[in-house]
Amino acid sequence: MPEIKVTPLGAGQDVGRSCILVSIGGKNIMLDCGMHMGYNDDRRFPDFSYIIQNARLTDFLDCVIISHFHLDHCGALPYMSEMVGYDGPIYMTHPTKAICPILLEDFRKITVDKKGETNFFTSQMIKDCMKKVIPLNLHQTVQVDDELEIKAYYAGHVLGAAMVHIKVGSESVVYTGDYNMTPDRHLGAAWIDKCRPDILISESTYATTIRDSKRCRERDFLKKVHESIERGGKVLIPVFALGRAQELCILLETFWERMNLKAPIYFSTGLTEKANHYYKLFITWTNQKIRKTFVQRNMFEFKHIKAFDRSYADNPGPMVVFATPGMLHAGQSLQIFKKWAGNEKNMVIMPGYCVQGTIGHKILNGQRKLEMEGRATLDVKLQVEYMSFSAHADAKGIMQLIRMAEPRNMLLVHGEAVKMEFLKGKIEQEFSIDCYMPANGETTTVTTNPSVPVDMSLSLLKREMALGGPLPDPKKPRTMHGTLIMKENSLKLVSSEQALKELGLNEHQLRFTCRVQLQDPHSDADTLHRIYTHLKNVLKGYTIQHLPDSTVMVESIVIKVSSSAEDSNTKVLLLSWSYQDEDLGSYLSSLLKKGLPPGLC
Amino acid sequence: MDRECVSALPRVCEVLAASGGSLPDDTSLEKLLDWFTELSEAGVSLLEACPCLLGFVSAVVSNDAASEPSVLSFTLKLTGLLAASEDGFKVLQDSVLDRVFDFRHWQAAGLWEDPCIRIGWIQGLRTMLQHSQALDFFVQADFTEPLLQLQTDTSLFVASAASQTLAHVLLLCQSVPSPEGRHRETIPVETDGKYSAVVAGFCDYLKKSLVPKEASQLHGSQQVLKLLAKLLTRAGPPLRDRLLLTVSDPLEELVTTNYSQLTLPLMDVILAAHSCGGGERVARLLSVMLSARNPADLVHAAAAFLRSSHPDPDNRARSAGVLLLPLDVITGLALLGADSSADQHRSSVMEQLRRKTSCVSMICISLTNVPQVTSTAPDCLPCSPAEIVSAVLSVLRLCSGDSPSSSPGCAEVLRNVTGSGRVQKCALDALSALSSSSGVKVLLVEVFTLLIQYLNSPASDPSVIQKSYQVLVKWVDVCADLSDVTEQLREDLVQVVRKRVCDVRWEVRDSTVEFLGHLAAAPASLASDKEKARNALECLPGGRCATVPLLQEALQDPEGYVRASSVSALALTLAPSWQQGAAPPQQEAEIVTRLLEILSQDTQGFSRRAVIRFFVAWISSCSSPSSCSLLTQSIPSILSRGSADLDWEVKVHTLELAELLLDRASESRRHPYAVTPDRTSTHARAVESDPVSMLNSLVDQGVFSALLSGLVDCDRPVGLKACQLLIRLRDTVCPLLLGDQDVSDALVSGSRASCELPGCGWAREVRRILGTATAPRNVHGADGLGPEDRGEEEEEEPAVRVGVCDALRRLRLDERLAVLAQSSDHVHNSPLSLLQDILTVSRTKTHLDSQLGQEVIVDCY
Repeated sequence: MPEIKVTPLGAGQDVGRSCILVSIGGKNIMLDCGMHMGYNDDRRFPDFSYIIQNARLTDFLDCVIISHFHLDHCGALPYMSEMVGYDGPIYMTHPTKAICPILLEDFRKITVDKKGETNFFTSQMIKDCMKKVIPLNLHQTVQVDDELEIKAYYAGHVLGAAMVHIKVGSESVVYTGDYNMTPDRHLGAAWIDKCRPDILISESTYATTIRDSKRCRERDFLKKVHESIERGGKVLIPVFALGRAQELCILLETFWERMNLKAPIYFSTGLTEKANHYYKLFITWTNQKIRKTFVQRNMFEFKHIKAFDRSYADNPGPMVVFATPGMLHAGQSLQIFKKWAGNEKNMVIMPGYCVQGTIGHKILNGQRKLEMEGRATLDVKLQVEYMSFSAHADAKGIMQLIRMAEPRNMLLVHGEAVKMEFLKGKIEQEFSIDCYMPANGETTTVTTNPSVPVDMSLSLLKREMALGGPLPDPKKPRTMHGTLIMKENSLKLVSSEQALKELGLNEHQLRFTCRVQLQDPHSDADTLHRIYTHLKNVLKGYTIQHLPDSTVMVESIVIKVSSSAEDSNTKVLLLSWSYQDEDLGSYLSSLLKKGLPPGLC
Repeated sequence: MDRECVSALPRVCEVLAASGGSLPDDTSLEKLLDWFTELSEAGVSLLEACPCLLGFVSAVVSNDAASEPSVLSFTLKLTGLLAASEDGFKVLQDSVLDRVFDFRHWQAAGLWEDPCIRIGWIQGLRTMLQHSQALDFFVQADFTEPLLQLQTDTSLFVASAASQTLAHVLLLCQSVPSPEGRHRETIPVETDGKYSAVVAGFCDYLKKSLVPKEASQLHGSQQVLKLLAKLLTRAGPPLRDRLLLTVSDPLEELVTTNYSQLTLPLMDVILAAHSCGGGERVARLLSVMLSARNPADLVHAAAAFLRSSHPDPDNRARSAGVLLLPLDVITGLALLGADSSADQHRSSVMEQLRRKTSCVSMICISLTNVPQVTSTAPDCLPCSPAEIVSAVLSVLRLCSGDSPSSSPGCAEVLRNVTGSGRVQKCALDALSALSSSSGVKVLLVEVFTLLIQYLNSPASDPSVIQKSYQVLVKWVDVCADLSDVTEQLREDLVQVVRKRVCDVRWEVRDSTVEFLGHLAAAPASLASDKEKARNALECLPGGRCATVPLLQEALQDPEGYVRASSVSALALTLAPSWQQGAAPPQQEAEIVTRLLEILSQDTQGFSRRAVIRFFVAWISSCSSPSSCSLLTQSIPSILSRGSADLDWEVKVHTLELAELLLDRASESRRHPYAVTPDRTSTHARAVESDPVSMLNSLVDQGVFSALLSGLVDCDRPVGLKACQLLIRLRDTVCPLLLGDQDVSDALVSGSRASCELPGCGWAREVRRILGTATAPRNVHGADGLGPEDRGEEEEEEPAVRVGVCDALRRLRLDERLAVLAQSSDHVHNSPLSLLQDILTVSRTKTHLDSQLGQEVIVDCY
């Protein structure tokens, strides 16, 4: 039986370093190629040696597909293509291809800054890697080769995020990447066809959570920022360059406008212009509201949000600053944090997850005294808030997607094991399908039962209908008779006459023959007549004819009699029948072998 | 070990032993184990230094039902580490060792299903097996059996770890210390019965499992072969001979049964056996592998043999024949000569080539291994490297559909390769690798012609175009003399470059611009004009004059990458003219203006970085300030824009420019009688005679401001570089001022070398350090609003002047350097930081459980 194998090298019961190998119909596809920010050594990248042994990655993989620009999904791509040496096709959507290098550059710079690492991919490598990328359009089927095809669907989550449907012959897999089933301020909700894949590989970040409405979180966020500003405090929001930063900017911009607030909002590192550029360029990937209002007013052209200069951090009075990086582990956000940490009027809002070792992680877990460079201790007096604005489907959303795609099997990745376990139970119970949650390095094998689509000629269908019986029902299997022909890689069921015509063949008849010896002291003609009489008596309900050409016919079976040359009492019966009457022919031969009963005339 | 860590560790152990829920960060435990491993490798006795660890292990294993699998796995690995020393082993043997490594217990408890427990068990064992007591323990517990089973585990990680541990055990049993072994003792060679039982058990297993009885056992055979190859490569003679004796029959059976999936691992085993003198039988197996398999497996086996660099002329010749056969068949070029042994496979190769998937794969393997084929001694090769190049060129022609194959019956095969990007890329890689083979230069024109065709073809995808350019540069590089390339071809190349530099795809434009840069850097000449041409670009019609406008145009490209490449290519193109003398003034002015625009306006860091590098290269080549006066005048703008950039790498490159200017200044000062090209230069004379003038000149150029602004930058590399340069300036120039003149004079001179610090931006921070900041103003008015709330612009403090040397002494540079040199990363990597994180996470979780706060969910970044 054909099988589909799924092996996560990353994202198997964890988050970070998403990298999933799918083997389907003899093709090997790598889904995402992410890095783990929690490590500073080789462990941050997936270890490809497990899958390729001594072979070349290019020879092993048929393609790599990147779902979106977050580093846990694309951070290892330049390492894979330029350092390990993968030279095959890489697919991602247009916005992802445009934004990915910015994030990779940021990550490279932070890594090189932090550790002064030299054994790391360079700017040139990022560029060379991006040059190998083939962009995807939504809903456009791309033929990777003669057998493998892929199709991207909108996933929400971040600009350009896509789910991907991978198909080889009649087998298929859907990989969701990260997705969001509810629209937010700048993006729409994920959507997919009822494509009934053999496996749906879904993220499960919020596997056990039914998230409160986004509106509530937004209200809380604005309330906290406003309160802090009102009491003259400064608010730091550490963000990554692109993504939720823009969503929060829209939120604050609208609020400032409505409330007529004057305190400045700054966005560091000149990314506002860059972000603007990409959101404008890929306006079709944003949500309906933004697309509609774009003509009158571009939501990403902010009146209140200005570019930040490092000296502003020392300015007196309240302000809101968006600064990178998002985990407070280097650069501008860390510098501002150090300046503001000592004042309890100030506030830092962490809008996402921070890995162990970062200042973000420490303060989120309540550390109030931080050891900084040179053994200096930083007293954290400012208010620390955590508000996750990451756009992932919650448990309800995941179930909704399953209902949409109707998969035959489910496989969970990108989440915590305990939470996955819970969701797995729910899925198996509600949808009666198998649900898997392999750990990293573990291979899940799903046996597929590929149904081979066959076209049927209308005339054959009509003929079958004419024979009576119930009308064809797609849900009830029914046996059909015809000739299966394969033409131009497709199968067609037609009547045998049509098959002969289409294939330009002559009809041949296949007949079985056998000889039976019989002791009968009569003439040949009498013996034949005796046989006729005998069969008339034995075979009721069959058409039996004694023909003038000295043959007896029972259905399609022909019987002839001749005397043996040596002994005229020994008669040789020649039986011949077509394949339709095979059973009857066999029966007759064994019947006649027994001899004719006495008393026949 | 840090005192604070020692005091925090017991609490961490308590927290981990009691953790019922998962840790929020899955990396903490691995990092903790890294730290213990580092300590142990540094010679610290873990059980002595951290006595709490023993209690921790006992607590976890005695309460395994309540423990988190990741903590259990960590405990298994930690136990192995603790028992890796003989003293530690003894302590553990008396207490928990049996229980920790009792896999049946883990199976019975239902925990074995979790791969992290299996990994923990294997890695714990592997770490522990460093001494004979540990090996005795392993043998007595009979762990070989479960390890053999785990070799075919559903988890790749478990299977690989099991295989490595088995190899480790067997090598340990045969007494040869592994090369990576640390404190490892050599176990006596006269391995007694207990160790030989392990080897015997393993040999039995090999006999039984090497040959698969059914398809489902193929994976098992594959794993055993991998382990066997590992062992044969590393084992000493007694074990190696024993293994060889055991496996020779099954190997023979495998070689003759033709399991395609086993070809490569089987080849690895045979090669390992062959390398260690496996005898005639192995040699025979090798020759069967290289001659009597189906063509698809044969090319794999031949490639593996050539990659092994085994100096066996017969087999090298045979392998070369096997790999060249598909090229011979598809191109119709007689590469193999008349009596090649590979020829017997011709019809079956043709059969394989008719099927698309196997065709592409087989041709790609042949092409990928062409460099190995040509590295074979010429007398083993059936044809010359030039003929192989011709074959590769033919494949490329077939791919582009430009030429029919001269091979009979090849129509279907042609359909399979026509337009195949994979074959094209492999062929281009092969062509690149072949450029340095002997006797191939005669084909330069043919290579040029074909590559230009590829560059011109509308069907070529961007990566094929990029590779074509790279191959072209490689051939130009190797051949250097381009006399054979006709004028027409060179003209064609210029035409195609003109076309591609305007391509709609940025990838193509970028590759084209990069190509021009590479040509400018590739030394080349024409026999007719040897004196003039010094690089490949100048050998093209129109030379530099034809390409500079193209590159200048590309400076306006909408894609940042292309702009950056054109800046770099321009630098390479113009470099010879800088060395020869000034660039034409008009061109210089245009370029400087455009580059300054990019530096101040471009949204992409790559382009701005390239601009600074351009200026660094230009100034380095500039022989005297007067020969590139416009550039010299632009230095203050470059420095001020570069040091105000948002990208720290631009700032670091700007500091490199500052360093260059500093070098220039000090060189001139240090060698007052050195012959400089322009002795009349006022600048040179000034710095020679007077360090104060030199300082003033650096201040005027903006070097000092750039260094000060870098010093207070938020990005560590910028701060570090600036600090180092400022220290250098302080240590080289300021003492001279004191030494050369009397102190009072020096103070006066020092005050003469001064700079202005404005009241905003980076200067405000510097002023704060220097203590020259004005008193803080009352920023909040009666309405309680700050100036921003009132819509006021930021108020700028008046500028102040500071003496350069005075500032350099008061900036506490050495103190700063010590902090900056530490790297901000030490916070993230320090063990104390890790221990504190584990403790605070646990507190937060407890707090959350009791008070229902917002849980930090690991989502994405």
